[in-house]
Amino acid sequence: MAKGLSSNNAVAVFGTAVALRLALFQFPALASLLGERVEISTPVTSFKRLSEGVFLFTNGVPPYDGGVVHQAPLLLGLFYPIISSPLLVNLLYILIDLAIGYMLLQITAIKDKDYAKEKKITQYGGKEEEPGMSGLSVATLYLFNPYTIASCIGRSTILYSNAAVAAAIWMGMKGNKSLAMFNVAVATYLSLYPSMLIIPVILMLTRKIDDNDLTKKVAIRCTGLFAGSLVALFALSFVLVNSWDFFGSVYGTILTVSDLTPNLGLCWYFFIEMFDQFRPFFLVVFQIHVFIFAVPVSIKLRKYPLFVSFLLCAIMGTFKGYPSVGDASLYLGLLPLSSEIFKYMRYSFLVTNLFMYSTLLAPIFWYLWVYVGSGNANFFYAIGLVYGIGEIILMIDSTFALLRRDFESQSPPETTGQDAALGWDREVVQK
Amino acid sequence: MRTSSPCLLLLSGAVLALSAAASTTTDTIPILKAPEAFHEQLVLKPLNDGSVYSHFQFTTHIGTMMDDDHFDGAASNLFKHYNLFPRSIGQILHSFEVEELHLTFTQGRWQYSDWGYPLAPSAGTGVELWAWLNNDKRQTDEHWKGLTNTLSGLFCASLNFIDDTITTEPKLSFRNEGLYNTHSVPPTLHNNNNSTIPRRLRYGSLPHENVCTENLTPWIKLLPCKSKAGIASLLKSHKLFDTRFYSMAVHVRSVCEDEKCRVRSLELVQTITAVFDVARHDGSFNWSLSGLFEREITQSCPLASTSKVIVNLPQTADIENQYSLVPHPPQGIHSEGSGDKKQEIAVYDLQKILPETTSPFHLALQWEGSRPKSVRAITPGIVAHRYFTGFGQERGGLAIEIRNNNSQDIEAVYLDTLPWYLKLYLHTFSIQLNGKSLDNQRDLVQKMFYQPAVDRSRPAVLEMALRLPANSLVKFTVSFDKVFLKYTEHRPDANRGFDVGYAVITAKLPREQGQIGYGGLDHLRIYQEREAGLVRGRRSDNREEEEKEGETDKMRVYTDTLLVSLPTPDFSMPYNVITMTCTVISLFFGSVFNLMMRNFEVVKPASKKSGKGKEKAEKTE
Repeated sequence: MAKGLSSNNAVAVFGTAVALRLALFQFPALASLLGERVEISTPVTSFKRLSEGVFLFTNGVPPYDGGVVHQAPLLLGLFYPIISSPLLVNLLYILIDLAIGYMLLQITAIKDKDYAKEKKITQYGGKEEEPGMSGLSVATLYLFNPYTIASCIGRSTILYSNAAVAAAIWMGMKGNKSLAMFNVAVATYLSLYPSMLIIPVILMLTRKIDDNDLTKKVAIRCTGLFAGSLVALFALSFVLVNSWDFFGSVYGTILTVSDLTPNLGLCWYFFIEMFDQFRPFFLVVFQIHVFIFAVPVSIKLRKYPLFVSFLLCAIMGTFKGYPSVGDASLYLGLLPLSSEIFKYMRYSFLVTNLFMYSTLLAPIFWYLWVYVGSGNANFFYAIGLVYGIGEIILMIDSTFALLRRDFESQSPPETTGQDAALGWDREVVQK
Repeated sequence: MRTSSPCLLLLSGAVLALSAAASTTTDTIPILKAPEAFHEQLVLKPLNDGSVYSHFQFTTHIGTMMDDDHFDGAASNLFKHYNLFPRSIGQILHSFEVEELHLTFTQGRWQYSDWGYPLAPSAGTGVELWAWLNNDKRQTDEHWKGLTNTLSGLFCASLNFIDDTITTEPKLSFRNEGLYNTHSVPPTLHNNNNSTIPRRLRYGSLPHENVCTENLTPWIKLLPCKSKAGIASLLKSHKLFDTRFYSMAVHVRSVCEDEKCRVRSLELVQTITAVFDVARHDGSFNWSLSGLFEREITQSCPLASTSKVIVNLPQTADIENQYSLVPHPPQGIHSEGSGDKKQEIAVYDLQKILPETTSPFHLALQWEGSRPKSVRAITPGIVAHRYFTGFGQERGGLAIEIRNNNSQDIEAVYLDTLPWYLKLYLHTFSIQLNGKSLDNQRDLVQKMFYQPAVDRSRPAVLEMALRLPANSLVKFTVSFDKVFLKYTEHRPDANRGFDVGYAVITAKLPREQGQIGYGGLDHLRIYQEREAGLVRGRRSDNREEEEKEGETDKMRVYTDTLLVSLPTPDFSMPYNVITMTCTVISLFFGSVFNLMMRNFEVVKPASKKSGKGKEKAEKTE
């Protein structure tokens, strides 16, 4: 297991990641500045709100009987003993961030093993396809992604949900049913949307099983494990806060998007501007829209559960009510796990530019609207749209690339017969 | 129901009888006729800065003594016959089971540091309504809603906007002001046992509400003589609303008529307080009744039991008689206290003065030469200042400074109600004492109640029992986030901002500290003293400790109202936002649908016969 870590490179990468984060945490002003940025902290992931929740909890005020705290009760329980020490809190954040990097590294290792058994795709010029990125590169891309760093320094609690997702994928790839399902349940418990991931994780767990009946049995068992873990987490939460108020305050807020604090998503301005009589309709449509892709994507791409989990995470990170750059850091971390599709992607340059454009302009337009008053809400909304379009093009383009590569492996160019002359210059269209 | 028990009734439709324990005693109750009575009084006082303070107070009592045989019908009997007591108020009290009602309309700021404390207990800008209701939780909310809506209609004010998002139930402030006997735990209407009627408080305020003539007219209609006779004939809206401070109130409470509190009556106090800026036009500080009100009192109200005009004379430090009061009071000038605490009062009994003459009642105060600057300075015991900190429309802070000018520790209760669109972070709450931050808050904040706000349904309430050290400045700070509202939740003038109501500090202050009217002749004060014995034994919910009688007064200090500017969306954008967001979402949906539903296929050369295909084939070469 420690194979990946033993090398000097790995030590260097992880060491630098820790040092960088520790250095940035040395400036508390930076941490609180990032923690209050709307792009990083949303109402359901803000550390400030979590602190308020812990404070109320400590002082005997029911934390969920109010409009401030929307984080899961067990997070309050986790932070309750350590919140008074900023050092411990920071160390916990760094540790979890590193753990995600480590899990990505491990997932790549398992994936590479699977990949080695696959039939190699012949590419242009008759060469064999080269294997994708190494695990360390994947981990490096995650750990040094500016979004990841900003989210970690801003102490957004999306990190815990992300860690649970990564752990679920890792355990799914490893074949550990109960831990995989438990982690999906934890991620669901923390931010609801990852419940979709139960499908790709079951796909991972059953990917080596050929028997249909056995697959069904495993799937049913997994669903049972998931439901059991979720119920256990809810029961534990009830024991902790002694009330069921948290359901409405945590999941109700996520589903009804009642807190309209701006973020990089598409929902906030939409529901600020929505006519009252249509609000419930669009709310339902928007929420269904997030979940609706889980099934078709999982059916079409069932051979690629890792990619499915990337795609579902990206869908969540784009269309959920309160997206933040922390969500982007998760799916951008999962994307390199399918690095072999990169060469089929057509719009990488455009996507990169859209992300950079929105990342640079979002704080400026926010400042113009909220502080200077020389811009208005439309400026920031427009940036959110650009960011959303970037995410959407990334998802579409990567799915296209995956399908294209799949096509190449299924029907390589004919070497004999009528069409052989075309060879690698053949034209391919979607029909 | 056994009806041989001695019982009494009172108030707001609820029958209050002695407890079963008391009913077994063989005391005979003194059959006290407690008829309706009406008192009117006008207090005038030149203030330190030359303004003239006027306080009208009209008190109506309705009391009933029921014998045992009429127990059952008591509740309805009380509100069947109206002579002096206004029927509209009686019916409201009856149908919503209101035990105490306090409604105040205020315009302008009361300047504590210049004027001291007002006679009227409420001085927060806007409208303040609080009531004690006699029923259980669910009914309370229904009745409160009914009450606000009915009063809204009665006084032509927007009181119906006091809904759940504004209403609170303070735990320490706004205690019952009525008097109750410790032993007569009131039984419920239909259940004559020892159980207490659950009395619940509801409090709401509208800082944005303006007060004007349309509110004064229905208020005057509640008076027995309207504005036709008596001191109420001075009430000319034209002049009253052209003042630095104007406040108009209706208070209803129950009081005891005998020592054991078996006979009780309902008291309706209507007050109007106005501060006139007399020097505004010609720089002269002389004033007269006709000059202030542009009206005269030609006859006293025949229905009034007492009708008095009281002038609280200015206390000049060095030379006496720098002014003259015309006419000289028939009973001479009444003085009380000495030195700094000296108060001089002139009393005019209109019922004696007016019948003796045919001319209307005149009253004027004239300074000999110029008004001296050395009028005794006022240092109010407690001064509070509340303000916003921070900039931008994203977040801010609230700072509250309370200065205790007394040479002794003062117990006070701080009540702050913040609307839900300010999200308080209580973990950022900090206290500074005389400029130094305080770690041990226990000595200062003895109790704290905090109710977090819920979006769109209830406000945040912060209530603290404080012990303010002598001669100190205590500063609280707390930070908040501003909420982004839906475009329909903004006011039409969205960029003006939202009004945030005042905070209220209820402090127990030592007597005679520059409070206006504490000259011994104030009607309220007299009343309190008469019932001092009952005050001691009075029963009240949640009362932590009894007041120290005679030494302290509960004073409410109001801070200024604040204006908060919330981030606004572009109000012209709904269609654009809907179309653009939906376009982006359908872009994704359509593309994914395509990718999922369609398969790749090699374009066969055979199909390249169309021109388009050929071009492409050439292109790829």
